[in-house]
Amino acid sequence: MRHFLYWLILIFLSFILQGRLSVIGVPLDLTTLLVYYAGTRYGQTKSLLLGGAIGALEDILSSTILGPNMLAKGIIGFSVPFFTSGGFFRWTPLLGIIAVSFFTLIDNTIVFLARSLFDTMPTAISNALFIAIMQSLLNAPAGIFIRPEHAD
Amino acid sequence: MQRKKYFFFIFVIITFILMTYQSKKGRLLHIDFINSILDSSFEITEDLIDAVTKPFKTMMLRDEENRLLQQQVRKLLMEKERGQEALIENRRLRELLKLRESRKNYIVSARVIARGIDHPKNILILDRGLKDGVKKDMTAMTPKGLAGKILDVSDSYSRLMLLTDINFSAAVRQQETRTEGIISGTGTGKCILKYIPYEEEIKNGDTLITSGLDSLFPPGIPVGYVSKVHDKKDGGYFRQIEVVPFQDDTGIEEVLIVR
Repeated sequence: MRHFLYWLILIFLSFILQGRLSVIGVPLDLTTLLVYYAGTRYGQTKSLLLGGAIGALEDILSSTILGPNMLAKGIIGFSVPFFTSGGFFRWTPLLGIIAVSFFTLIDNTIVFLARSLFDTMPTAISNALFIAIMQSLLNAPAGIFIRPEHAD
Repeated sequence: MQRKKYFFFIFVIITFILMTYQSKKGRLLHIDFINSILDSSFEITEDLIDAVTKPFKTMMLRDEENRLLQQQVRKLLMEKERGQEALIENRRLRELLKLRESRKNYIVSARVIARGIDHPKNILILDRGLKDGVKKDMTAMTPKGLAGKILDVSDSYSRLMLLTDINFSAAVRQQETRTEGIISGTGTGKCILKYIPYEEEIKNGDTLITSGLDSLFPPGIPVGYVSKVHDKKDGGYFRQIEVVPFQDDTGIEEVLIVR
């Protein structure tokens, strides 16, 4: 129950901050960081479910079709443990930076493609690319601090 | 591991089905209350941020206001200074005008534009010259009294030798007793009155005016007052008398040039 509340507060705070903070007009992508964090702490199935839930909530809050964020966050939740479990890569702060940037970029790409395919194109490709790169750069430093438990 | 992959595959399929369905039938979920919760949270956050930042914003605003007020005070003080300066100048020029009207031998009024570089203390540069009718040896005076004489003239400028200059001398007369003498500059702020015999009565405070006997200065211009009379006979025939000019040589800004 405590765990559930902890995640509820985290999700709530990330949505609040995401709605308030922006750098040169680009909002922060804190939900991706949250899913990344979940991926570093839990297994693939749990992270996939948590990612899917956060994505679904983001879809509902953004008043668009249900699915793009759900899919993107689910994929990220499922893939992050593969990067950070230590089975394939050895975690270093640099790997953290690269992983966070990569997953933010993937999240943006999946959401953009899914919306363009199943709904309407949310923005011009150049703008979508700019936002994706900016959000990747803004999220990148978080990769140093979100460490997998086995990293120490 | 295999189960996880299946699970992931099913998840992806479900999301694709969801999206495909919605692309045909429109949005599936309209859960507005979540949005309204978030909107209320935004409002609360905004209020909280406002409550925290308001005192700092007010302080910054006061600082800015204080800075602007200080700027205004400085500006007003400068304007006041300028106004006072204009008032003083106006008074001075009015006196000069009065003097000009009273003088029949008036030539021109001139403004002091600099102090001479060769004799910094006793030569002044005037903004009038030959073109304005100024000639060498003409008299320069102010409402207070004699200022000096024109030393040399160019087309547009002239140089005024003040009566405190060591090379200056003029024929003067004691206003009451009509005793005649020669006043000379000393290079300091004072002058000396020469050729007054011991028999002549002269005392501190006596006023001296130009006599006109030197054919340079018109008669009757106030020159200065006696400030010290040396009574001791030191072998000479004449008294040693110190005179303070009415016109202080440091305060001259405009002069009247007369013939």
